[in-house]
Amino acid sequence: MSFFSKLAAAFMLIIVSAPAWAQVRVEVTEGAISEYNLAVSPIAVTDSANTALAEDLATAIERVFDITGYFKILDKRSFLEKPDVDFTAVDFKSWTNVGANGLVKGKISGSGGEVDLELAFYDVSGAKQLFRKKYTAAQNMLKTAAYRFTAEVIKTLTGEEMNFMFSKIAFVEKNGHQYNLVVTNFDGSGRNVIHSTTKTILLPEWSADGTKIYFTSHESNNPNLYVIDIKSRQKTLVSAYEGLNTSASAHSDNKTISLCLSKDGNSEIYSLDTETKSLTRLTTNSATDTAPSVNSAGTEVAFVSNRAGNPQIYKLSLSDPANVERLTEQGKYNQDPEFSPDGKKIAFTGRDEFYKFDIFIINLETRAIERVTQNQGKNESPTFSPDSKIIAFSSNRDGKNKLYLSNVAGTKQFAVYSGEGEVVTPTWSQVTNQ
Amino acid sequence: MKTLKYILCALNIALLLICCSEKPPKEEREMAEKAYKDALLGKDCDREDYLAAEELLNMAREAVNNKKYDEARTLFLAAKERADAIAKYVREHPDECTPKDAKGDSGEDGSGSIAEQTFVDEANNPSNPDMEFPTIHFEFDQATIYADDLPLVEMMISWMQNFPEKVVRIEGHADERGSIDYNLSLGEKRAIEVKTKLLQAGIDPQRIKIISYGEEQPVDPASNEDAWFKNRRAEFKRVN
Repeated sequence: MSFFSKLAAAFMLIIVSAPAWAQVRVEVTEGAISEYNLAVSPIAVTDSANTALAEDLATAIERVFDITGYFKILDKRSFLEKPDVDFTAVDFKSWTNVGANGLVKGKISGSGGEVDLELAFYDVSGAKQLFRKKYTAAQNMLKTAAYRFTAEVIKTLTGEEMNFMFSKIAFVEKNGHQYNLVVTNFDGSGRNVIHSTTKTILLPEWSADGTKIYFTSHESNNPNLYVIDIKSRQKTLVSAYEGLNTSASAHSDNKTISLCLSKDGNSEIYSLDTETKSLTRLTTNSATDTAPSVNSAGTEVAFVSNRAGNPQIYKLSLSDPANVERLTEQGKYNQDPEFSPDGKKIAFTGRDEFYKFDIFIINLETRAIERVTQNQGKNESPTFSPDSKIIAFSSNRDGKNKLYLSNVAGTKQFAVYSGEGEVVTPTWSQVTNQ
Repeated sequence: MKTLKYILCALNIALLLICCSEKPPKEEREMAEKAYKDALLGKDCDREDYLAAEELLNMAREAVNNKKYDEARTLFLAAKERADAIAKYVREHPDECTPKDAKGDSGEDGSGSIAEQTFVDEANNPSNPDMEFPTIHFEFDQATIYADDLPLVEMMISWMQNFPEKVVRIEGHADERGSIDYNLSLGEKRAIEVKTKLLQAGIDPQRIKIISYGEEQPVDPASNEDAWFKNRRAEFKRVN
C-alpha cells in the first residue's frame, strides 16, 4: 500500500470545479458500441517545446476511451474548432454540430521538469462543464495523470470502475533463438527487458504482488520453473522435477502456484507452496492435463485436458479436485484458459472449423461462449486486465505477432506493441499503480 | 525389413476390402501424400492448386484423427486430384515451374556401357558407431509414430543394441499450432512414445534420456503442411 501512496503523492491534484454530473449517464451493454460520441480536442500548450507531448497525451486519452468500446471517438478532422486554452468559453453549438455528446479539452502549462496538465470534461448536450482537474507532475508521469482523468470520465459516464490503464503486461519477445522477457505498460510503452537468453523463456506469469514473474526455461537442460524479481533481476529456481515444470499460475496468497509437472510420466496439474515446497497433485489421468489458471478466490483451477480425445477446457474444484467439469464442447482444439479476475469468465484460444485460432470467452454464469476475434490472422494467449474489462493477446493479423488489446466483447481491437521479434504469451499484472 | 513392410501393406489392403469404413484409408493417404510431394515443384507456379491440395490434405488428416474414415478417403482423393493437376501444370509449363539452375540437357540416348557398383550406406548402417541418427515423425496432435518412420525406430534399436555403452537423449517437438504449454506436453509424449519402443526392445532405461522443446525448435519455420509435418518429430542426440 505504501508504494501506491508514494506514487499518488507524485501528483499534486487540484480539483478546480465541483462535480455536477449526476444526470449524465451512458447506458453500457457489452458487445454494443454506444452512440455516445466523444471528442478529444487537441491539447493546447503554452510552450511549443511540449507540442509532441501534447499530441501523445491526446492520442493516449483517445485510445483508452476507444478500447472500452463504450464510446465513438470523433475523428479529429471533423472538428470545426482549433484548440483553445479557454476552459470557460466553450462553443457548445459548434461541438453539437459535429455530433459530439461529450468533449475533453486540455492544456499543458510551463516547461522543463514539472509541468501542469489541465483537463476538462464537458457534457455538450447539456452545455456544461462536468469537471476540470489540474495535475502537476514530471513529464514522464503525465500519461498516468491523463489516464486518471480518463478513469474518472468513464466512471462518470458509465458508473464502471476501470483500472486497466494503470497496469503492466509482460510477454516473451522471440527473435529466432533469442528470447527476451519484456514488461511494458498496458499501452505498450516503457519497454523493460527483465531477462534474456537463447535457451527459451516460456509461459511468463506475474506473482500476485506484481514484483516477480514466473517462467519456464531450458537454461539447465530441463524445462524448469524459475521466478525472477523485476527490480533486482535475481532469478531463483522454483521447481526442477524431471520432465516438465510449466504453466505457473499464481494464487492470490502470493506464495502458492498451480503448475504442470510430468514427473510421474505424464502431464498433470499440481499446486505448489513455493515457501514450504509442499506439493499437491490435482489431476490423475492418463491424458495430458496442463495450462492451469487459478481463479482469484483460489477455489477453482481451469485447465486443458485431452482426456476426451482432443484438447478441451475443464475446471476443477481445489477443495475437491476430483470434481471436474468440462466447459467447452464445440471445436476440437481449445487451449490456454485464463480466469477473469472477477471470476465470471474464462478466456481461451480455440481453433474454429476453418482451422483458424481465435480468442473466445466463456461466461461462467450462462455457459455461453462468445467469440472475440474472427477473420484476422492467428490470435492466441488471452489475458485479462485487473478490472476484467480488457484482454491482451498476441495476433499475427499484420504479418508478425504483435501485442493486441480488445474489450471483452471484441468490438474494439488494436495493436499496442510490436518489436523486433514475435510477441508471445502476454500476461497481465493484477496490480495497479494509479 | 522391406519384405515385412510389403506384407503389412498387403494385409492392410486386404483388410480395407473387407471393412471399408473401419480402417483409415491408408492407400488413398499414401497416394495423396505422394502426389502432394511430387507436386512440390508447382508450389509457386500453380499456387492456387497447391494451397487447395494442402488444405484438403490437412482436412483429410484431421478426419483420420477423428476416425471419420469415409470422409477422409474422399478428402485424400480430392487432394490427390488437385496435386495431380499441379503435376500436369508443371509438365505443361516447364519454363515457368523449373528452377533455373535445375535446367539442362539430359542428353541420354541409350547407347554406351554401364558400370555398376554397390555401396553400403554408412550413414544409415547400425553397425557404424557414427551412424546418422534418424528423425521420427508423428501424426497431428498425436504421439503416434508416422507409419513410414517405424523402420527408422528399428534401425535406432539395432544401433543401441550394437553399442551398449552409448546413452542417447530423445528430443520431442511439436509443430507451431496450439499453445506453448500443450505443445510442450505433446513433445514430451512423443519422446516417451519413442522411448517406450526402445524399452520394449530391451534397451536399458538408464541409456535413454528424454526432453521436450514443444514448438520452440522448428526445423522449418514456414506455416504450411509440409513444414508442420517436418516439425512434428523426435530426434536422437548423443549424450556420450
